[in-house]
Amino acid sequence: MLRASAAVERVGVPTVSIISSGFLKQAAVVAKGLGLPEMAIAEFPGVPMTQSKAELRRQVIEQLLPRVIEGLSKPVQRQAAEREVLLPEPREIVFRGDFDALQEHFHQQGWSDGMPVVPPTLERIAKFLKFTERDANEVIGVMPPANRVASVWNVAVNGVMAGCRPEYMPILLAVAEIVCTPEYKIEDAGSTPGWESLIVLNGPIVKQLGFNAGQGVMRMGKQANTSVGRFLRLLVRNIAGFTHAPEGADKGSIGQSFLVALPENEDAAADIGWAPYSVDRGFNAGDNVVTVQSVVAISAPTYSGTEKAEEHMKIIADVIGERACGYWSAIGMVYANWHPLIVLGPSIAKVFAQDGWRKDDIRRYLYEQVKMPASRAEHYAYHCGQTGFRVTQAVKDGLLPPAYHESDDPDRLIPVFQRPEWIGIVIAGDWGRNQSKGYVCNHVQGVPTSRKVRLPQQWEALLAQAQK
Amino acid sequence: MTAVTHVNEPQYEVVWPLGKPAYAARAPNERVADLSSKVIGETWDYLFRGEEWFPILREELSKRYPGIQFVTYDTFGNLHGLNQRELVAKVPALLKEHKVDAVISGIGA
Repeated sequence: MLRASAAVERVGVPTVSIISSGFLKQAAVVAKGLGLPEMAIAEFPGVPMTQSKAELRRQVIEQLLPRVIEGLSKPVQRQAAEREVLLPEPREIVFRGDFDALQEHFHQQGWSDGMPVVPPTLERIAKFLKFTERDANEVIGVMPPANRVASVWNVAVNGVMAGCRPEYMPILLAVAEIVCTPEYKIEDAGSTPGWESLIVLNGPIVKQLGFNAGQGVMRMGKQANTSVGRFLRLLVRNIAGFTHAPEGADKGSIGQSFLVALPENEDAAADIGWAPYSVDRGFNAGDNVVTVQSVVAISAPTYSGTEKAEEHMKIIADVIGERACGYWSAIGMVYANWHPLIVLGPSIAKVFAQDGWRKDDIRRYLYEQVKMPASRAEHYAYHCGQTGFRVTQAVKDGLLPPAYHESDDPDRLIPVFQRPEWIGIVIAGDWGRNQSKGYVCNHVQGVPTSRKVRLPQQWEALLAQAQK
Repeated sequence: MTAVTHVNEPQYEVVWPLGKPAYAARAPNERVADLSSKVIGETWDYLFRGEEWFPILREELSKRYPGIQFVTYDTFGNLHGLNQRELVAKVPALLKEHKVDAVISGIGA
């Protein structure tokens, strides 16, 4: 809400922003990033969602009201002007020391994710920059809430730190471009659900760079998958400003660890005559494409063992659809946006194809068959904090389609999947087993966003040299 | 096992991993000394029981400041929802239209 407050302040109207106690540190980072570090804040004491009506009323009258009045009417106490701090230039050496001292310094400064980082030396960064024709100083974008500049240079720096190989640089740049687009809403990557960004890869680059699309695809361990996933977490930390609690802006209440990159097994897709995921995203088969989306929860490993497509579908609809996606789909309804991703094991995709099913048939089945009572969606949303949400009103406001208000029965069944075309399907994982998994996204925060990877003209030669 | 000190351990010279800030800091606007007869706007993200505490604030502020008026949150819409950017962009015009003197904004960060 500080972004709305900043918009109001910019047109000359004073504001006071109500922030509950647990969000004060995040608010300080956001306010600074908005250029209004002295923004008036009125602390709402405690956790409003767990207070009784009587307690809430007492807190509002005794604690919040005087703070609101003070914030609106008491002259702002200007803090001593922040000393002009000279920030380092890109090539400036900011630390010299041995490995242990360097790691300690990076931990102390909050520049590390808690694991040792590869020292970002000028020599290592130069190797990364060879894999792009873009100017090192080119600004890719600005990453809120800290509102720091993401450049080709600091993409390389964080890529080095994450343990990437120099030849991953074109992928790292595409990832950075995506998370800098306003539609991705990286400013909400520190929201309390604690979502993480998932990188999905398509194209020949998957094999060229040695990504694993098979067994254990989402395990840490394979350098390409792991370091590219870690790079994104470091970027979100160091440029967007989402350092961990207690000092940082990351409000993930319980949170989760970063996700390794997920490449699609395009050979498996081709074998059954299905287009790769990148084509579903609007690109040509064979394009090198990066897609990034939020993941807030992951389903149980979903086993389906039959030679009949519909039997697989019933289990996937039950375990991934109703059980994994059902609960959080309510929050997707609040924001009228929701893009779950299903990772199908190659053997299961093959059964679907043999039975004549296309990806659209899977999507349509999930949309038509997986439903929940409207009252339950409102119940889930209320307890999450979206206390003003009503399904019927969302339909009247044109946010949800008419299928969500076919009657006034509060217990009418409504679709868990808002739109069939919003369901992503990727083939990956163990070819020798019959498992699928669902990745639940976080509504408007981290919507799937794709970019084609831009390779340097001498890509093949550079790659051959790097892999010698 | 005893730790061994390696006198020849490499020394590293490293660069800054952050990016420069892309904002210019400014001070908040002048406050409203007396809220009597003033128009107060409410901007809300439709979260955390604002439908309960905004009315309490209205009630209590009205007791203390004669003539105070409110432009309630429904005028501005859900500023945290799907159309957040579009609705926030409309806020300045709505403030002008309703002659708002100050805004209470909530809740969260």
